[in-house]
Amino acid sequence: MSPLPLTDADLNAYVDGALAPARVFDVEQALAKDPAIAIRVNEMRQQNALLREAFDPWLADPIPAVLVDAARAPQARLPWRRFAPYFAIAATLMLGVASGWYLRDATLERSGTPTTFARQAALTHVLYAGDVNRPVEIWAAEEKRLVTWLSRRLGFAVHAPDLNSAGFALVGGRLVAGNERPTALFMYENADKQRLSLQVRKQPPGTSDVAFRYAIEDGVGVYYWIDEVCAYALSGQLDRTQMLSIGRLVYAQLATPEPGQSK
Amino acid sequence: MSTDPPLPHPELLAAIPRLRRYARVLTGETTRADDLVQETLARAWEKRRLWAAGTDLRAWLFTIMHNVFVNQRALARRDAQNVSLDGDEDGNAAWQIPVRAMQQTRVELIEVLREVGRLPVDQRAVLMLAAVEEMRYEEIATVLSIPIGTVMSRLSRAREKLRRVAQATPAEPSTLKIVK
Repeated sequence: MSPLPLTDADLNAYVDGALAPARVFDVEQALAKDPAIAIRVNEMRQQNALLREAFDPWLADPIPAVLVDAARAPQARLPWRRFAPYFAIAATLMLGVASGWYLRDATLERSGTPTTFARQAALTHVLYAGDVNRPVEIWAAEEKRLVTWLSRRLGFAVHAPDLNSAGFALVGGRLVAGNERPTALFMYENADKQRLSLQVRKQPPGTSDVAFRYAIEDGVGVYYWIDEVCAYALSGQLDRTQMLSIGRLVYAQLATPEPGQSK
Repeated sequence: MSTDPPLPHPELLAAIPRLRRYARVLTGETTRADDLVQETLARAWEKRRLWAAGTDLRAWLFTIMHNVFVNQRALARRDAQNVSLDGDEDGNAAWQIPVRAMQQTRVELIEVLREVGRLPVDQRAVLMLAAVEEMRYEEIATVLSIPIGTVMSRLSRAREKLRRVAQATPAEPSTLKIVK
């Protein structure tokens, strides 16, 4: 029996991995025989990659406070926000303390302080650590390529610390469009499939150092510190002691500058 | 109701960037997009007993968002008969997301974003869900309440349009100013 002629829908489904296995065979045969089909499939793949590259940075936009609040259970929300914007002004006057706290929060969010950094790191961690299929852009098998690529994109030399002694193996890494500047993300996983992520970005000149700090952002523990060159955040849903010991391990490895590393 | 099981907050929070992105693609605009996300989250909490714990929260949220969007569009269309909104009757107007908000620096990528903005909203939606969100066709069909055949035909039309544009415009650098 000769196969049904291939349609555009078949090729689309093939590229999206949605084609029935029997039909995949037909497409692959056609691919081998007909260069025009191979070109078409390749174009679709490139188009997909381009689309993802174009739209993925949007994911790193800071989330407005009003949406963070909307994600909370209705009874956990600050009461006045439910009536916003209609009674926002009146409510602000009545709930001076609560809204004062909120405004302080919102200000921090805007100005890119260490608090924002920790929060952003936690959100980014949740976003990618939960992704079973594509937590990273480049897998650990290609660690060298990963490191070269990230160093180039970030404009300084980064490397993935070795956390095997803590039971965490490198899964891979990706570039994250941070709040202000690009951030490298290294993902690690242990035998229990728990994931940790280390995010590194360059600090704007003139920011002050921050010694080891711990924050819990939306259920994710974040250890972060800032030295004269970079800001680091280690995020994961582990207990604090474990996070601290891994944090120290990372710190010890990253604090040793690579030979020839530029500032 | 306190007897209802709560939605998992970290997952809900983690879904927000994806919901916002999709909302921007649908509405073509940032403010309306955030309103849409907010409304979606509110609905999600109202209907939380309909979410089966352990199933894909993202797909469920996208489904809610789609319904909210369709309703809002119907209302806007009804209002349009009285108030006359410019050019947005089918929700097909090219989007108004400024280049700066797109955080892009490569002309190629800006061009892709623009072209996606020129697609009819139905095709945009399918393209985003398939190519960028990497949802399965069945999931997309559920999210958009359309048959799988329609998912496939919209997707192939969208890709074909983008392809033709890519071939017709072989890079015109220098003319675009990038605001950083």
